[in-house]
Amino acid sequence: MHELSLVGAVIESLEELARERGWKKVTKVTLKIGQMRQVIPEVMVFSFSVATEGTIMEGSSLEILEVPVTSRCLFCGEEWDGLSFICPRCGSDQIETASGMEMDLESVEVEE
Amino acid sequence: MPRRIAIQRSVMAADEKIAEKIRKDFSKRGVLMLNLIGSPGSGKTALLEGTLKDPVFRSVVLEGDVATSRDAERIARTGTPVVQINTRGGCHLEANLVEKALEDLEMEGVDVVFVENVGNLVCPAEFDLGEDYKVALCSVPEGPDKPLKYPHLFMKAEAVLLTKVDLLEHLDFDRNLFWKDVKELNPRAERLEVSALRGEGMAEWISVVERWIRAKRP
Repeated sequence: MHELSLVGAVIESLEELARERGWKKVTKVTLKIGQMRQVIPEVMVFSFSVATEGTIMEGSSLEILEVPVTSRCLFCGEEWDGLSFICPRCGSDQIETASGMEMDLESVEVEE
Repeated sequence: MPRRIAIQRSVMAADEKIAEKIRKDFSKRGVLMLNLIGSPGSGKTALLEGTLKDPVFRSVVLEGDVATSRDAERIARTGTPVVQINTRGGCHLEANLVEKALEDLEMEGVDVVFVENVGNLVCPAEFDLGEDYKVALCSVPEGPDKPLKYPHLFMKAEAVLLTKVDLLEHLDFDRNLFWKDVKELNPRAERLEVSALRGEGMAEWISVVERWIRAKRP
């Protein structure tokens, strides 16, 4: 549901970077998005194609690198895939999400 | 030929900067900021009305809604300063909207800023407003399965409130299941049961807020 706001933020920061660095056109945008961020890639790609019309990103492709969720035990340091709340090695419940929360602008391809 | 350029920064960098600014400013002033998140109709406004009725601390309220100023009017009746933010379709509040709304409020002597987010269990959990804590609300009629269906919010909340508990006697709500799931997702969160209508649990909720206010004071 919030994909359009995220796309809006991507466009804003790329327009600013383009002004600073003198890019004429952006041809590809790569985002790194964690699977915990409740983003639907297809909705993101569609929002991006609509919202970039009339900008230097018009017609560019959007690539989304999905980052799987991993958890880490704060007590013994064990790491594992997925979301669970008890450490499989030591049984501690002091768990943090180690990856899967990313929402990063990773790279762009530009014409200068 | 196009050239690849690494950027590696958060998509929401601009908004996160504003959130950090708000957090720093309130930290200096010793003002607590809470971000109330729950479904439409989960009782967020009713909880605030109950909290502000006989005030034991000085509050201001930011009301986030897609449309109308109905909630702000309800809060204004308690005598608490309030600003309505209409997102015009937006499903959540962002720090830039909060920053603008805060300009309209006198902060001298204020202990706590309550932000009532747009009714929604998904998107509001994703955006940092500069708050100290997120408070998750789930009402009895919504059913006990919400924490596991919307884990992100319940994992990040400092307190989870089960609201409208006066309805427990009328509905088949598995309270043990609800709290078991909350505990698994977030063992450290405060767990409270309230009925803003009957006043049940409100004293406990208010004392939690008072404790947070005391911890925030310089």
